[in-house]
Amino acid sequence: MLHIKLFSMKSQLKVFLGVALLSGVALLSGCDKDPEPENIPEEITKVVLTFTPAGGAPVVVEANDPDLDGPQDIVVGSIALAANTNYTLSIQMFNGFYAPTDSEYNVTEEVEEEGAEHQLFFSWSEGAFSNPSGIGNIGATGTVNYTDSDENGLPIGLSTNWTTGTATTGKLFRVMLKHQPDIKSASSTSADGESDLDITFPLSIN
Amino acid sequence: MVPAQDNCKLTISGVVMDESGAVLPGASVQLNNTNRGTATTALGKFAIEKLCKGRYTILVQYLGYQPFEKTIALENSADFSINLQPSEQVLQEVIVADHATTATRSNSTASLNSRQLAEVNGKSLGETLQNLSGLNSIQSGPAIFKPVIHGVHSQRILILNNGIRQEGQQWGAEHAPEIDPFVAHNITVVKDAGAIKYGTDALGGVIVVTPAELPTDQKMGGEIHLVGNSNGRAGTVSGLLEGGIKNAKGWGWRLQGTSRRSGDANTPEYVLSNTGFREMNYSASVGHHSENSGFEIFYSRFNTTIGILKGSVNESTADLATAMNREVPANTSDFTYAIREPRQEVTHNLIKVNSHFNCDKNIYRLQYGLQINNRKEFDVRRGASLTALPALAYTLYTHTFDAERETTISDLHTRCIGWNGMVQDNNKLDGTQTLPFIPNFRNYSTGVFWIEKFSHRKADYDFGLRYDYRHYQVAGFNFQNKLYKTEFGFGNVTASAGAAIKLSETTSFITNAGSAWRPPNVAELYSLGTHQSAAAIEYGLLLDEVTSQVNKIENSNVAPEHALKWVNTLKYQKGKWQLEATAYVNYIFNYIYLKPRGITETGRGPFVYFRYTQTDASFTGIDASSQYELSKKFSVRVGTSLLRARDVTQKDFLIFIPPNRGDVSLRYESLKNEKTFFAQMRLKCVAQQNRAPRIVTTAEILAAKDQGIDLFIQDSRNFDFLAAPEAYALLSVTTGLSLPLHNTKLDFRLSAENITNTRYREYTNRMRYFANEIGRNVSVAINLSF
Repeated sequence: MLHIKLFSMKSQLKVFLGVALLSGVALLSGCDKDPEPENIPEEITKVVLTFTPAGGAPVVVEANDPDLDGPQDIVVGSIALAANTNYTLSIQMFNGFYAPTDSEYNVTEEVEEEGAEHQLFFSWSEGAFSNPSGIGNIGATGTVNYTDSDENGLPIGLSTNWTTGTATTGKLFRVMLKHQPDIKSASSTSADGESDLDITFPLSIN
Repeated sequence: MVPAQDNCKLTISGVVMDESGAVLPGASVQLNNTNRGTATTALGKFAIEKLCKGRYTILVQYLGYQPFEKTIALENSADFSINLQPSEQVLQEVIVADHATTATRSNSTASLNSRQLAEVNGKSLGETLQNLSGLNSIQSGPAIFKPVIHGVHSQRILILNNGIRQEGQQWGAEHAPEIDPFVAHNITVVKDAGAIKYGTDALGGVIVVTPAELPTDQKMGGEIHLVGNSNGRAGTVSGLLEGGIKNAKGWGWRLQGTSRRSGDANTPEYVLSNTGFREMNYSASVGHHSENSGFEIFYSRFNTTIGILKGSVNESTADLATAMNREVPANTSDFTYAIREPRQEVTHNLIKVNSHFNCDKNIYRLQYGLQINNRKEFDVRRGASLTALPALAYTLYTHTFDAERETTISDLHTRCIGWNGMVQDNNKLDGTQTLPFIPNFRNYSTGVFWIEKFSHRKADYDFGLRYDYRHYQVAGFNFQNKLYKTEFGFGNVTASAGAAIKLSETTSFITNAGSAWRPPNVAELYSLGTHQSAAAIEYGLLLDEVTSQVNKIENSNVAPEHALKWVNTLKYQKGKWQLEATAYVNYIFNYIYLKPRGITETGRGPFVYFRYTQTDASFTGIDASSQYELSKKFSVRVGTSLLRARDVTQKDFLIFIPPNRGDVSLRYESLKNEKTFFAQMRLKCVAQQNRAPRIVTTAEILAAKDQGIDLFIQDSRNFDFLAAPEAYALLSVTTGLSLPLHNTKLDFRLSAENITNTRYREYTNRMRYFANEIGRNVSVAINLSF
């Protein structure tokens, strides 16, 4: 009978050798190329705060976290400002996974372009600034002097104005960048959306 | 036959079991040439009394099994032990179908037969197995269950699906086995270490999932299962069709498919948002059997999308602390079937070709399997275009080859030798725009084994030995997104020895000692960064915490895991009593576990992180169960599982060890005119885990860190972020009715779990930090077999 022949020991062995050969060929022909690195556009490895006083030399402070979620902690510089002085704070963000010549390197531009989805929030130790007063708008309802705005006229926070108070040390200054797609509105707060940045800097006023 | 009145005091009694030795309650027992008959009790027993001397033909029937028929000349009362074979089982088929070789009598096993599987109403594999003594699960929310045998889990449990080593991406604690529970005809769990025939990794045991044998007759048959659950408003439809081929003797085929869908589950008080799932599975097989050979091709596809509790995803440690302390998880919204981020999409394909042929005293078996496993994990990311991309995506190809020869040396002695080979290829799918969490890798594994089994007097013995070698080629990216490449290998020996001794008519003793090992998994070595659907940052064994570079394995002290497990089981059965007790010790050298390690500060705030760590661990425990027949219709069962686990190196407790538990159930079962009805009530009690590591809250870690103190440099003991949840008790009820209709059988079942809507948390559920367990669930099932 046909099926007996079909499933004799010999023919079964043949089938198996065939399958083994085919899969062997498939394996060998599988490419042994190195994997391609991923583009990593959504990460911020470096943040630069530039406090520029009217007519004076700017105060530049950096925070660096080259390994992101890696075990090494972020390295945060200290902010030292002069007492009773007006500053304009501009914030820049960089993605160190790209070369400085690459357009992806400067995340600031992306945040600005997508301003309608982003907002920076700030908080600080009470008394550090005379204007704005209070403790800021992270988990609180204080004001921040935003000087930029998105296409809907809502603040972004890449540029802000500050007036320091009297000399003091041991204060903190917290910067939070929130991504709020379809969330950002006149009433959205630091509790809405996802955090792209959340860094606390030591602050002293001299 | 002229009965002499004086002699009509004889009894035919016995017990009816399936092929794995599990009792079959409700089987019909008839004496063919009389009108006498009965049905087996909940313990599978029967007795027909007041029989006269003479010739009788006993016929035992049970749906899904071949009828058993035997003619005896009754002189004295007789007692029988009857094992029914699944219907259509004509030959000793493929490796896995051959029970004697998968789980020998000298293994400590627990099984669920098709009838018991039907009673769980199509739950997932991991959830179903929780019902067996000594088994638990590691959960990630209401739909993801990973089986735990005697306290060990994940990579340490080998799952044999239809004879093939299941090779999915099992490296995550929230990666459930990719198996359709409706494919299983029975599930056997071998609790010993060292599955000699199937390679490395079985440090905790083996789960054997076996489909029914293919039919060989021309008759077409099938099954339809419909299940509805109130919690999650879930529905399941599963169907099966099988038959032979006309004018082609020996040929058989089967088609099977399952679709499951669930929305958000709910606790007694609130909805668990984003915990729904969708599943679509199917399989097809065709085969040919003749007296001396068999051949089968099997294909199956498993496809699921599972949501991860939205409230378990945290922005930072501060948010984590808040999330752990709030009663209702964040982002809890109204019930929906929609599954959003974070979620997993997993597909598992299996193609299997196997054959066997008999030659003199030898049976030769050959098998080839190809598994293609695709896993994508989606996360909330910056911008809709990035959220649409998986944050993690890998495809794993696994080729397995198995060849063996089993020789019958004498009636009391068999020998089996064989070879297994495996080639695995894991590749990331390009375009996730994230740092790859695990590297690409290829591994080549090969192993040879030798098993001897023999019987001597009242005992069965078996000895097994195997050697395996595994070679890895790894290419991944470090935290600087720079490529690293490396190659290395591990080789070692697995051994086991066991004996099953019949001490008396009522008592038997099984002892098994095994030594098993496994090479570290690639994820344990190289995990890097955020494993989002697990809501955790995880670092592999080879990640340097100071430089954040990936170390070379030869410059590290990473070693394979190595287990010594000794399991002893005592079985006692007399009259209405049945008792089984298992005691075990499992000592694992270089045990790899994910240890909460501390907090890493990033540009997005501080995050809790876990690190794979090696230690020596011991697991000691007892599983005991006892069943008693109160009457022909009522039976009561009591069971308990006790486990003590130690981190021996650090003289500490381990985290996520299942707490002690016990259960008691009362069952009523009646059979009348082949209609069976049963009702069962079960109370399950779970103790608080008092043997848990110390508590260090995130607030304490952060406060110390602000002062420049690393709490864990001073004290490296294990810790947990929250105390172990309190003890709880759950009550459930199941009732069922089976009706024979012509050549078909109709089953109705109604069950209610957590009837009292108790609020509780399970220590081994990773979501316990954020949310309660699910509340009451009422489930209705209809099965039709034709």
